[in-house]
Amino acid sequence: MYAWIWRILPGSIAVKAVTALVLVLGVVALLMFVVFPWVEPMLPFNEVAVQ
Amino acid sequence: MATHESGDREFEGPGATATMAEPERGSGAVATTVRTIGELLITAGLVVLLFVVYELYVTDLFSAEKQAEASSTLDQQWDQNRQLHPELIDGAAFARLYIPTFGADYHFTIQEGVGEKSLEVGPGHYPGTALPGEPGNFGVAGHRVGKGAPFNDLDQLSSCNAIVVETQTAFFLYRVLPHEEEVKDWATGKGAEPQCKGVSTLRDPNAPDGGPYGDTVGRKVVLPTRGDAVSPVPYRPVDVLPPASQVALLTLTTCNPQFSARERLIITSVLVKQWQKTPGSSYQDVLKEIGDNI
Repeated sequence: MYAWIWRILPGSIAVKAVTALVLVLGVVALLMFVVFPWVEPMLPFNEVAVQ
Repeated sequence: MATHESGDREFEGPGATATMAEPERGSGAVATTVRTIGELLITAGLVVLLFVVYELYVTDLFSAEKQAEASSTLDQQWDQNRQLHPELIDGAAFARLYIPTFGADYHFTIQEGVGEKSLEVGPGHYPGTALPGEPGNFGVAGHRVGKGAPFNDLDQLSSCNAIVVETQTAFFLYRVLPHEEEVKDWATGKGAEPQCKGVSTLRDPNAPDGGPYGDTVGRKVVLPTRGDAVSPVPYRPVDVLPPASQVALLTLTTCNPQFSARERLIITSVLVKQWQKTPGSSYQDVLKEIGDNI
């Protein structure tokens, strides 16, 4: 999978490396700002109140 | 010779690859599948690790920003208009909490409500429970892990440690009640120390079970279903005492053990002193007044 992504990235090795880094950062940002905040309330370990 | 050699090579080359390539192409597809599954599993592991980083550190950053915003909004509100009773809006800050034991710079705004939105800003007030300084139980919940973790070290509070609550008009000094094992010898033991002035066991000496406050101690670990931990009289029905005879308590709740939601850690403290705010008075003055008896 990662080898395939590396192969279809255009340009020289340097360009590929930069593109790959940008892709990784994009995925991390997507997880941090969108996916994790969305998933978090469904998980139990943030409960601190008695009811 | 040269032609012969090259001819040999030409003959050997394709022949060799033809016999080798056939089984390799089959295992190649399998290898690709296995490798892809492996890569996906490693990726999933990294995502879970990243989630841990998010929970422990990144939510702190998000919450610090929200806390700073809430704090400056609260200051503005307090400067603008004086009102005796704060208007309680869900998610909005109305008081400030200080625990000198955790450092002179420990302060968080207290928001109304114990929902997700309130608690990611800072500690939240259980709706319907008493307000700061009032008889009854001022109940406050807060995160112990991530989201600024205001109540991270709550388990380190000893009896008589100070908890200060600031409202628009006053400062309230609460002190943690005796821990369960200290109740018996309180008057002759720790209760005689200077920082414990005004802190009693709240027990009724004439009642065998200690009276209405018989189960009230400084630190308790309970199941999440014990909603009565923030009842006007802790662990008792709401109407066990008329409001006039209720003691002014402050109860902090958080998750227990750390990183788990299995139980709740309950810290209960009692009001021992209060100061009306005068123009220019600050928490520093309160700290001076408390002195070493934090």
